[in-house]
Amino acid sequence: MTTRRATERRRRRRAKRAASRPDRGSLVGHSKATPYVLSAPAILAVSVLLAFPVVYAVWGSLYDTEFIGGPGRFVGFQQYVDLFQDPKFLWSMSRTFVFVFGVLILGMTLGLVFGFALHQVTGGMRFLRGVTIVPYLVSGIATAVIFRLILNQNFGQVNRFLEFLGIPAQAWFSDPNLAMLASILAQVWADLPLAVLLILGGLQLMDPQLLDAAEVDGATGWKRAWRISIPLITPQISLSTILLSYQALTSLGVIIALTGGGPVDATRTLTIALYETAFVDLETNEALAIVVVILLFNALLTLGYVGLSRRYNLDEQ
Amino acid sequence: MATNTRHNTRATDTRVARDGASGPPDRRIGGLAASPLGRGVRRVLLWIPLIILVLWTVMPFLITMSISLKARGEVFADPGLLPDSPRLDAYREVIARPGFRGAFLNSVLVGFGTAALTIAISVPAAYAFARFGFRGRHLLLLFTLLPRLVPSLGLMIPLYQIAVTAGMLDKRLTLVIVYSGMLVPLAVWLLVGFIQQIPRELEEAANVDGASMFKRIRYIVLPLALPALITIGVLAFREAWNEFTLVLVLTTTPGKRTLPYELYLMQGIQGIQNYPAEAAFTILTIVPFILIYTRIEKYIVAGITTGSVK
Repeated sequence: MTTRRATERRRRRRAKRAASRPDRGSLVGHSKATPYVLSAPAILAVSVLLAFPVVYAVWGSLYDTEFIGGPGRFVGFQQYVDLFQDPKFLWSMSRTFVFVFGVLILGMTLGLVFGFALHQVTGGMRFLRGVTIVPYLVSGIATAVIFRLILNQNFGQVNRFLEFLGIPAQAWFSDPNLAMLASILAQVWADLPLAVLLILGGLQLMDPQLLDAAEVDGATGWKRAWRISIPLITPQISLSTILLSYQALTSLGVIIALTGGGPVDATRTLTIALYETAFVDLETNEALAIVVVILLFNALLTLGYVGLSRRYNLDEQ
Repeated sequence: MATNTRHNTRATDTRVARDGASGPPDRRIGGLAASPLGRGVRRVLLWIPLIILVLWTVMPFLITMSISLKARGEVFADPGLLPDSPRLDAYREVIARPGFRGAFLNSVLVGFGTAALTIAISVPAAYAFARFGFRGRHLLLLFTLLPRLVPSLGLMIPLYQIAVTAGMLDKRLTLVIVYSGMLVPLAVWLLVGFIQQIPRELEEAANVDGASMFKRIRYIVLPLALPALITIGVLAFREAWNEFTLVLVLTTTPGKRTLPYELYLMQGIQGIQNYPAEAAFTILTIVPFILIYTRIEKYIVAGITTGSVK
């Protein structure tokens, strides 16, 4: 009796659910299992290759091993406590902040200038947009090699240009501050296309009538840019900021091939620290704790991204 | 993607209309345009950033190319941009290296493999997400966020350990699988949007004519989703071609490395740096992709502007 009533209730609930999704499942020729079978490979790939590693990292960071390959001992958050008391780790954190901040300042400035300039370009010069994207196709390692060549102390074109301006040639990779600047330059070069294209896209979505109205009211170019265009493309500016920080925070190739973290650890960002801890010092558990710290920063950026998409409905655009 | 095209047309339309209605096209650049002098100043203000943009983007390439065409000693003796007697010695030297040829072949194989596997995995999943109301549907949101949440840097150690345990270390197939896994969420997400725009009526009509689901996907969905498939293929190929973090830890023998790893090692291995060879190697890793790129520019632009960047 009770089972029959339960079955009845279940049936009714199912019918209700089906009714609330009109049109769904109306395609004939499939069983209930079909969508699960179709999506299984993708879900499996994502679970094993993206989701499981995160769980693994968090879990592994709670253990400690006395010797390589030895049994793990549960230590709770001890790895994190040690990390945040380790001056080398704190130094890497501060380097990472300098690096990300530098990339943001330079990247957003150039992104806005280039985005506005490209927006004015019409006709035959539109190929410039295509040119802008080219660094996006270049690997981080290739970017680093290119910058090692153009910043070379003896024959680099940048130093030759500085000498032309009357500034003595600089030792880009032996001076700690200049090495950081070089890393920032290379990273911005690699990722700028993202910012420029996003900002350009935002400018093109703008209603030109707003600018015309401002012009009638006598607003000059700069005023219109600051008071009208910039506020209107706030979503794209914020999105570029997040994407550039994300790229800079998780970049390994550019720095490892450009400076290798040196000189005297001047460019030893968290990513370099992570690589060295894991594959040079072979301290896997400690490295996993660094992974988790980076993932947390990353999660913050992602939260910001989600918030922005919700707020500005970016997906609808 | 369809939305992008729409925006582009809209932008062009307004521009055309405005040009027709309101005289010189650069009127909108600013209020100064009224006086000839003002227009000149304005031109300069526009051209300066554009010149910087071109120099910033192109000069690093040109300098690298110039170095690649010099002899080893010439790099120091004559740092000018134009080599006195351009020679291809550095290219010959690089191509003669077994390390380069092996890595190039690996990059091509892993690149095409990743593109193929990514599409093979994501098409059925995207079809399921787009056309069926099932419980797994809610995973789609997670799919859009995971790649941002988990950078390859975070995968480095766990995937290394998994590969060791599974005996999959140092295999090209491992790279293909791992890169596909990283691309699948983005690919599914792009495809779902695309498939949802294909009218269901098309499929229902085919269904009435007795076409199975497989046939409907093959003959209706895939041809219509071709632009999305190309975008996905290109982004997957780019990932495999340029990725460094994972190939660094997942390969152990020289025969399995891809180009970025080989280029990275090249800097360290040779005692005295061979700058022309480094430059030539770099150019050789970039040029093939740029050649492909000129044919498919709009797909890449679409990939970037839909927020699918990584």
